[in-house]
Amino acid sequence: MGAVWVYAEVTPEGPHPAALELLTKARRIGEDVAAVALGPGAGAAADELGRYGAATVYASEDPVFADHPGRPAAHVLASLTADHAPSLILFAGTYGSRDVAGRLQARTGSTLMANATDVLAPDRARTEIFGGTKIVDVTLAGPEPRLVLVRPKATAAEPSGGTATVVAVAVDVPADARGARIVERHEEAASGPNLDEARVVISGGRGLGGPDAFAMLDELATTVGGAVGASRAAVDAGWVPYAYQIGQTGKTVKPDVYLAVGISGALQHITGMKGAKRIVAINKDADAPIMKIADVGVIGDLFSFIPALTQEVRRRAAS
Amino acid sequence: MSAALLAVVLAAAIAVFARRSHARVTLLREARPAPRTEDIIRRARRELVQVLGQRKLFRKAVPGLMHAFIFWGFLVLFPTIVEAMLAIVDEDRTLPIIGQAPWFLFTVDLFAALVVVGVTIAFVIRKVQRPDRFRGSHMQEADRILLTILAIVGSLLLWNASRIALGLSEHPQAQPLSNALSSLFAGGAATEVAERVLVWSHLLIVLAFLTYLPKSKHLHIITAAPNVFFAKNGPSGRLEPQRIDLEAAEEDMRFGVATAEDLSRKQLLDLFSCTECGRCQEVCPAWNTGKPLSPKLLIMDLRDHVVARAAAPSGEVQLQPPLVPNAVTDEVVWDCVTCGACMQECPVDIEHVDTIVDLRRNLVMAESRFPTEAGAMLRGIEGPSENPWGQPSDARTEWIGDLDVRVLQPGDKPPEYLFWVGCAGAFDDRAKKTTQSVARLLNAARVDWAVLGPRERCTGDPARRMGHEYLFQMLAEQNAETFDDAGIVKVVATCAHCFNTLSNEYPDYGAHLEVVHHTELLSHLIGEGRLSPAGAPIGSVTYHDACYLGRHNGRFDAPRDVLAAGGAVAVEMPRNREGSFCCGAGGARMWMEEGGDQRINDTRFAEAEATGAETLAVACPYCFVMLDDAAKGKGSDVRVADIATLLAEATLGEGVSPPRRVPGSTDPWTNLEDSFGRTADS
Repeated sequence: MGAVWVYAEVTPEGPHPAALELLTKARRIGEDVAAVALGPGAGAAADELGRYGAATVYASEDPVFADHPGRPAAHVLASLTADHAPSLILFAGTYGSRDVAGRLQARTGSTLMANATDVLAPDRARTEIFGGTKIVDVTLAGPEPRLVLVRPKATAAEPSGGTATVVAVAVDVPADARGARIVERHEEAASGPNLDEARVVISGGRGLGGPDAFAMLDELATTVGGAVGASRAAVDAGWVPYAYQIGQTGKTVKPDVYLAVGISGALQHITGMKGAKRIVAINKDADAPIMKIADVGVIGDLFSFIPALTQEVRRRAAS
Repeated sequence: MSAALLAVVLAAAIAVFARRSHARVTLLREARPAPRTEDIIRRARRELVQVLGQRKLFRKAVPGLMHAFIFWGFLVLFPTIVEAMLAIVDEDRTLPIIGQAPWFLFTVDLFAALVVVGVTIAFVIRKVQRPDRFRGSHMQEADRILLTILAIVGSLLLWNASRIALGLSEHPQAQPLSNALSSLFAGGAATEVAERVLVWSHLLIVLAFLTYLPKSKHLHIITAAPNVFFAKNGPSGRLEPQRIDLEAAEEDMRFGVATAEDLSRKQLLDLFSCTECGRCQEVCPAWNTGKPLSPKLLIMDLRDHVVARAAAPSGEVQLQPPLVPNAVTDEVVWDCVTCGACMQECPVDIEHVDTIVDLRRNLVMAESRFPTEAGAMLRGIEGPSENPWGQPSDARTEWIGDLDVRVLQPGDKPPEYLFWVGCAGAFDDRAKKTTQSVARLLNAARVDWAVLGPRERCTGDPARRMGHEYLFQMLAEQNAETFDDAGIVKVVATCAHCFNTLSNEYPDYGAHLEVVHHTELLSHLIGEGRLSPAGAPIGSVTYHDACYLGRHNGRFDAPRDVLAAGGAVAVEMPRNREGSFCCGAGGARMWMEEGGDQRINDTRFAEAEATGAETLAVACPYCFVMLDDAAKGKGSDVRVADIATLLAEATLGEGVSPPRRVPGSTDPWTNLEDSFGRTADS
């Protein structure tokens, strides 16, 4: 059989972590492993790609790959494939690699399999169907090279300690094979609170009575270093955006401490926060369902309790 | 000479008609067959009532009359086309037997007049009244069609008038309208020419109309009758199963509808039967709350896509693009609450909901593409706990508390009634109150009943309405086995969705149960005198019909009877019974976030509140959660409560402890008579 290749996405900061996972996997499938790295940073990345198992790295520093998405890389890969006839090319399931793999398949007419969770042999891969309830092994038929898009984190990256021979790729991408040009890049600021990682989550519900009271929760969250969430009732009322919503149809959180402020504890909400280590509920109604699952229940007026709590935390932090 | 010309014109018209029909005929011929031929008698009866009798059209009185005039006119005047042809060949020839019969002449005159009245009403509706249901319909095409109908009938009347003027009618007094018009003609040679011109004009307009039909929305005059014939028999709440066999050959695997090629013959016929009247759009909860889904636009968009693909030049490889998002967007597919109001209103029995679920099946099973937030529900049902909220199975009996409830153990003697509590009834705090009320009432009425407790699992209904047919199939098979093992025959359910799927859909998976809704059982127990609501009367109540109890299954009276027996003063909402407006939770929408200008539950709650009733009574836990959330969100004083809770209060009083069953007692647990008439015919 022919070589197993890995299409490695690179930036000047280094290779994409998924490339190292794919190389680790490629070593287990075939003897002859190579990586293709295209774009600024390719040369510098070759060392690391070699350390994870690429015996050869086909590299080019040409900026055309950074300036145009997908098409130039597919163009060069197609000619490399024609010259070297690999049996299998692995791609990471990222936006960039998916773009390249699809375009390459259209040019080579070979088999492309998406969303693989494992690659078992040069002509066998594994995937999940029915929302992950069934695992199926798939035989890759059709002409070589077979192309497989592998889900990130399917294999843990392990270095082999090898070194790579770098083969410079001559790049001549004609203007009509470049396609769209990237004119601007900007990073979208994450919207909403960082609920997934917060150790303390302070959630507000209908009991807050309006959007203004959320300022009170923000203040407490800033003081304790936590994030603010909300029940669906508060989101539906339009007090805070959907990104705040915790529950069945919102986020699921598992913080160390969860403060439910003015939340009655409907099933819809409970399913999103029942995994919290400690649940503190503040509610004027002692019969609210939230009290059944709370470790600490405060029956009282949240409008006096929360500012007092914030003050007390500050006092203790200061002393 | 005339005969030859007529033959040429006829042949040309038929040829053009055939050519223009070709694409649609080919599509229908090659489509997946939809086996819809069982119970022919019922289908024939539907033709009589719904096509000839125009039953569904009369759900709107004036538009119904408008359509009936034109339709009946079309049927009655059909022989006059033959008559015109005969007259073209020989002006003295008329239809044998009836041609000169006074009653026939009169009937023609009468129905021609009715068509003119019908067309006039149609124009008044479209130009003066301009209802919103026409938004997105082809208005100019409709005008064109109406004017053509007017021209057909006008030319017929004038032709008959000219014949009277020429003395060709034996009974002009039987043709009052034509006779009056005959004064327009002086008689003599000029009228003879006019008569020829009119008869030819009449026939040519008719034939031109024929050739116009295949590519127009007016094709319904050909497709509507077969579409009604092949409509689903039985309750509209039953979805056709799509068996998923993982061992089957790959080419036999089909996951819902992905492309135009996957549509069944009935689904295609649906598309060709739509005449864009918009009755569906008018009642759609999604459209009414500012969402992009309109059942009418969905059908029109699918039709336009399918026809455009069929008309595309055929290359070697015809790649069919997926229907979603090329014909309809993802959002449209997910907006549907499957309430069935569109199908209820559709005069030609288009099955919008079934097609939407088929599109969902493909998105979910083949592409794993659905609103992210619904994933938790699917994972919950798939997971070890087998319920949408992922609650532990052993918590299914937590609602029991100190109530006297028999939890059926394997090997136990089966009870007369299995109380299917349902996931909401077991886990949701509001729905639990309903469950407890039912338990207390069943005990008070000394019914022999039990629950499955931890052995119960989700029926799979939310997964099925989401399109996850495979997950539903697994659950249905497992539950069917549980019923079988436990020897269950009769089931009572408080959830309208469980009720629908257990009674209509589980037979496809081997569970043939007698399923009653708790309101039916309670109504029956009251009738038997085993429950006597003698306490404080329920007060003023408005009842919200749950879609899967009412519209889909025709259970409208039992809930109202129970309320009446409890002394309730009932106030109906403007939209009630089969015209009820969904709470917003059906079609697995319970598990999705809602877009649009307004929320469906808020809209419905506002309608309930406007009745002035103190209490909004519900009969389904989904309705309960949705409408109670709306009430709380609005800070309303209206109490939302299940009928069972209202009855329990009126019968047992609040906090009255139910009679306890002493273990080993000889108390006779009489069997209930099986007197529930299965009359679901919707």
